[in-house]
Amino acid sequence: MAIALLCMLTELTVELLQPFFISKVIDDGIVAGELDVVWIYLGVMLGLSLVSFAAGIINSYFASFVATSFSYDLRTAIFKRVQNFTLTTLSKFPTSSLITRLTQDVLQTEMLLYMSLRIVLRAPLLVIGSLVMSFVVNPTLGLYLSILTPFLLIFLYIVAKKGAAIFLRVQKRLDKLNRFIQQNLEAVRLIKANDRASYENNKFFSVARNLKSDTVAGLRLMESILPVLLVIMNTSLLLVIWASSDLLATGGVQIGEVVAVINYGLRMQGGFSMFAFIIIAYSRSKASSERMNAVLESPIVENNHEVINKEAKAGSVRFENVSFKYPGSTRYVLKDISFEVAENEKLVIMGGTGSGKSTLISLIPRMYDVMEGRVLVNDKDVQDWNEEDLRQTIGYVPQSAILFSGSIYENLLWGDDEALHSDIVSSTEKAQIHDNIKDFDHEYKTIVGQRGVTLSGGQKQRLSIARALVRRPSILILDDSTSALDIKTESALWSALDGEEATRIVITQKIVTAKTADRVILLDDGRISAIGSHESLIEESELYRRINASQNEGGHLDD
Amino acid sequence: MIDKIKRPFGYEPLLRKEDLGRRKKKEDQRANDFWGTLVRLWQFMRGERRLLYFIIFVVMITSLLTIVGPFMIGYTVDNYLVVQQFDGLITLLMFIFFIYVLSAGTQYLASFLMVGLAQRTIYNLRVRLFSHMQQLSVRFFDKRQHGELMSRMTNDIETLSQTMNSSFIQFTTSIVTLIATVSVMLYLSPLLTLLTMTIVPLLVFGVAFVTRRTGPLYKQRQRRTGELNGYIEEVISGQEIVKVFSQEERTINDFEERAANLRHVTFWALLYAGFIPKIMNMLNNISFAIVAGAGGLMALYTDGLITIGTIVIFAEFARQFTRPLADLSNQFNQVLSAIAGAERVFTIIDTEPETDDGTIEDQAVEGKIDFKNVYFSYDKEQFEHTIRDLSFSIDAGESVALIGSTGAGKTTVMQLLARFYEVDGGEILIDGTNLTDYKRHTIRSQTAFVLQDPYLFEATIRENIRYGKLDATDEDVIEAAKLANAHDFIMQLEDGYDTVLELDEGFISQGQKQLISIARALVTDPAILLLDEATSSIDTVTELKIQEALEHLMKGRTSIIIAHRLNTIKAVDRIFVLEQGQMLESGSEEELMRRKGRYYEMINAK
Repeated sequence: MAIALLCMLTELTVELLQPFFISKVIDDGIVAGELDVVWIYLGVMLGLSLVSFAAGIINSYFASFVATSFSYDLRTAIFKRVQNFTLTTLSKFPTSSLITRLTQDVLQTEMLLYMSLRIVLRAPLLVIGSLVMSFVVNPTLGLYLSILTPFLLIFLYIVAKKGAAIFLRVQKRLDKLNRFIQQNLEAVRLIKANDRASYENNKFFSVARNLKSDTVAGLRLMESILPVLLVIMNTSLLLVIWASSDLLATGGVQIGEVVAVINYGLRMQGGFSMFAFIIIAYSRSKASSERMNAVLESPIVENNHEVINKEAKAGSVRFENVSFKYPGSTRYVLKDISFEVAENEKLVIMGGTGSGKSTLISLIPRMYDVMEGRVLVNDKDVQDWNEEDLRQTIGYVPQSAILFSGSIYENLLWGDDEALHSDIVSSTEKAQIHDNIKDFDHEYKTIVGQRGVTLSGGQKQRLSIARALVRRPSILILDDSTSALDIKTESALWSALDGEEATRIVITQKIVTAKTADRVILLDDGRISAIGSHESLIEESELYRRINASQNEGGHLDD
Repeated sequence: MIDKIKRPFGYEPLLRKEDLGRRKKKEDQRANDFWGTLVRLWQFMRGERRLLYFIIFVVMITSLLTIVGPFMIGYTVDNYLVVQQFDGLITLLMFIFFIYVLSAGTQYLASFLMVGLAQRTIYNLRVRLFSHMQQLSVRFFDKRQHGELMSRMTNDIETLSQTMNSSFIQFTTSIVTLIATVSVMLYLSPLLTLLTMTIVPLLVFGVAFVTRRTGPLYKQRQRRTGELNGYIEEVISGQEIVKVFSQEERTINDFEERAANLRHVTFWALLYAGFIPKIMNMLNNISFAIVAGAGGLMALYTDGLITIGTIVIFAEFARQFTRPLADLSNQFNQVLSAIAGAERVFTIIDTEPETDDGTIEDQAVEGKIDFKNVYFSYDKEQFEHTIRDLSFSIDAGESVALIGSTGAGKTTVMQLLARFYEVDGGEILIDGTNLTDYKRHTIRSQTAFVLQDPYLFEATIRENIRYGKLDATDEDVIEAAKLANAHDFIMQLEDGYDTVLELDEGFISQGQKQLISIARALVTDPAILLLDEATSSIDTVTELKIQEALEHLMKGRTSIIIAHRLNTIKAVDRIFVLEQGQMLESGSEEELMRRKGRYYEMINAK
C-alpha cells in the first residue's frame, strides 16, 4: 500500500515538474540561444516520462493487489459471519439482500479503494497545494481566490450527506427487486400453473419503476455537483481579476503573479472536479459499508465451549418444561414441554397440523434457543455443548429435502466429508436409494440441480435420509421425511432404520409407524396432550383415538 | 525477478497465448461480440434516439462554451491587465460570468436528460429481461442456479446502468474537444501538430495491448461473479442444513475458493485496465517534451517560424489534445465490463421462449384427457425415459388417482399436463385436440394445480390465497380457507388474513402451507384439477375434514390426484397404477381388487 502511494506521488511530482522544465527550456535554452540546454532538457523530460510511467505501472500492480485482496478479505469475513449466524439472525436478512451485500456492496468498496490508491488522494493534494502556492505568490489574491471555497465545501458536504441517504434507499430498492426475482424463480411452476406471467410482470414493473425513480433522483443530485463547482470556481477567478485591476494600478501586485494565481485557480478546479467523482463513489460506498457493517455487527452463535471430545456420542434427550416462541412473534408455539427419550429408543411425535412438531425437534440440534426450560442431550444442556460436538452426533432429516447443486456423491458427503465409499453405499442401501442411483447413467456422479429439481420427491427424501445416515448419528431425527415413499420402500426403510444403533425421534402422521415406537408423544396446540405407548394412548387419549380412527376407516395405501 | 513479474503476488497468469490471438472465428466469437452487443443496445434505445441527438447537441454547446471560458480569461489578461486599461472590465467580467453560468446550465441539462434516458433504458431492459424470463421453459430454470440468473438481472444490468450514466456524455465531450483542439493546433503549426501526432500510433498500440487482455478478463470476471452469486444463494437458502450438519467450515472453504478465483481474475482485469491511464500519462508527458524540445530546436534553427508564444500555447494544447483521449480510454474499461454484462443479459433474451404457437384461445374446455404413446425424459443424457409409451384416456368430469412407487412418473404426468415440459414422443390431447394446438394460457387458466411443494409468496395470506383467482372477493377467500380447514389457524394469527408471510418460516408449518395452497386452488373454478400429494404434510384428522371439500371440488371436473389415503383413492372413478413410467393396470377400485394384480398386492401388504 505504501508503495502504491509512493508511486502515485512520483507520478504527481513528475507532472508538477514539467511546467518548471518548459520554463527552463524557454529561459535558458531558446532565449539564451543554447542548443545543448534544449537537448539536455528534452532528454531529462523524456527520461522522467519513463520514470513516471514505470511508477505508474508499479502503482497499477499494487493498487490492483491491495484492492482485490481487500475485497476478498471483506467478502470472506462477511460470508464467515453469515455462516456463524443463528437462524434467528439469518431470518432478519433476506437471502437476496445478503447476496447484494456480498457482491455489489463489496464491489463498490473495492472500486473506491482502487480509485483512492490511484487518483483520489491526488485531488486534495492538488487543491491544497495550489491554494498554499497562491498564498505564497500573493496573499491578497490568494484570499480572493479562496473566499468562495468554504461555500463550496459546505455545498459538497450537503450533497455528500444527502447522496448517501438516497443511495442507501436505492440499495434497499435494489434488495427488494432482487427478492422479487428470487421469489419469482422459486415459484416458477406455481406461476406457470396459475398462468400468472402478466400479473408477475406488472408487479415487477412497479418494483423496477420505484428503483428507477430513486436512482434517477440520486444521480441527478450527483450530476449537479460539477456545474455548481465550475460556476463557483470560475467566479473566484473573476474575483481575482477584478481585485487585481485595483492592485495593479497601485502596484500591489505584478502581472506575473496574477497569471500564476489564475493558473493555480485552474489547477484547483481540476482537483475539485475529481471531488465530484469521489463524492459519488463515497456516497455509494457509505451506503454499502453501512449495509455490510449491519452484517458484521450482527450477533453470531456464541460457541465458547471447548471441543471436549469429537467422538462424544450422545444418546438420550430430555426436555424440561420447555416453552418456545419464534423471535418477533408473541404466540408461544411450544408450552411447558417435558419428556425424556433414553438411548436407542424410538420416539414418535404426532399431532395436528401446526401443533409444533417440527419446532420441537429443531430445538434438539439447537437451531433456536428455548425461552423457558431446558433441552438436555446426554444429561447436558444443549447450551453447554460445543455446537459442533452436538451436531456431530445428530442426523437430521428435514421435512422438505434440501439438496445442493453438485453430484449425488457430493451431496452425500455433506453428512461426513471423510466418509469412505463403503460408508456411503451402506447408507444409501439403508435409505433404499442405492439401486435407484445405480440405475442413473452416471450413478453417484449424476448431477442434481439446485434443490434437486431433477429428482422425484421420493428420491430426494431418501437421499436426504442417506445423507443423515452417512454421519453414523447416535440421534436420528426424521421430520415426516417419508411422506412421498410408497409402502414397500417405506417399510424396507423402517426395518433398516430400526436396526440402527441410534436414538430415533420421528415425526409422522401414520399410526402404523407409531405402533413400532417405544413411546409416542401427541402434541396439541403446542402442549403435550398425551404420552405413552400406542396401546396406552389408544386407551387414554380421545385425540389419538380419533387419529387412529381416521386411518382405520380409510387407511393409507402405505399403512 | 522475471518470474516475479509474470506471477505478481503469486497470481498465475490467466491468459494464454491463444487467448490473445486475433478474434477466433469459432462459436465463442459471438460471446466476444463487442460491436454486435453495442449495436443491439443502440437498437434497444430506438424510442429515445431523438432525445439522444438533442443531448449530443447540448453537450456540444457545453463543450464549446467550456473552451470559450478560459479563452476569454486569457483575452482579459492580455488586453486589460497587462496594458493596465480597465475601462469596461466589469462589463466583460459580467459577460464571462454569464458564459460560465450558461455552460453550467447546459451541462446540467445534458446530464439531467441523460440520467433520465439511461435509467429509462435500464428499466426497459430489466422489464424486457424479466418478461422474457416469464416465457422461458421450466427446463431452462431446472438447469440454472437462481443466484446466477439473479446476477444477470442485477449486477450485470447495474454495471451497464452506471456506465450509461456517465460514459455517453463524456464520450461526446471528448470527441468535440478533440476535434476543436486539433483544428486550432493545425492552424497554429502543422509541423508541430504532426510531431505531436507521433504519439498516436503508440497510443493505438498501447490501447490494443490492453483491450485484447481486458476484454476476456472482464467477461470472466462477470461470469465468476455470477458463479459466486449462485453459490451464496444456494448455501444461504439451505442454511438450516448447513447448520445441522455443521458444514460451516466446508461452505466457508468452498466460498473462499470461489472468492479467490474471483480475486484472481479481478486482479488481472484491474491491472491491465489500470495500464491505460498510465500509458496516456506517459504519452502526455512525452508529447509535452516533444513540443518543448522540438519546438525549441525549431525556434533556434528556423529562426522565426516558431515563436516562444506558440510553444507555450502548444504545450497547453497538447495537453488539451491528450486529455480527451485519456478520458476516452478511461471510459473504455467501464464500457468493456458493461458490454460484457449486456451480452450476458442478451444471451437470456435470446434464449428461445417456450413455444406457444397454439391457436386455440379463450375456449372453455370440457376436460377430456388423452395420452397417446407418450415418451418423456427430464434429461436424456443422465436419465432414462421417465415416461415410456404411456397411453390412457380420461373422460370429462371423471376422477382418477395415480398410484405407484416413487419415481414411477406420477408427478411427471401432471407436469406434462400443465405443459411445464413438452413430450419427447407421442401426444397429449385435451377434448380431442393436441395440447400444443392450444395457447398455453387457455389450458392453464382452466386448470388448478396443487403442487407437491407448497410455495407461498412473501405477501399476506389473503393475497396468497387470491393468487388462484385475482378477482376473488374477501368472502371467496375466507370461504375457500374454511373449506381447506385453514380458517381457524389463520384467525389465531395476530393479523389474521393480513398476516404477512415472511421468509422466516417459523410462523407457519409445512402442513399449514399445504392448507393455504389448497385454499388457493379452491378459490378457482377449474375444468381440470391436479392434486399432487396435496395433503402429505397434513395430519390425518384434518385431512379427513379436507377430504369432503376436495371430493366436493372434484365433482363435475376432470381430476387427477396423487395420494396415499385409501379413502381418497376409493372416492375416485378409476385408479391408474404406474410403474417405471408405464401403465401397469387401471380400473375402478373394485375391478382392481377383483383382478388381484399389483393394486391388490399393495392393499394386502398392509
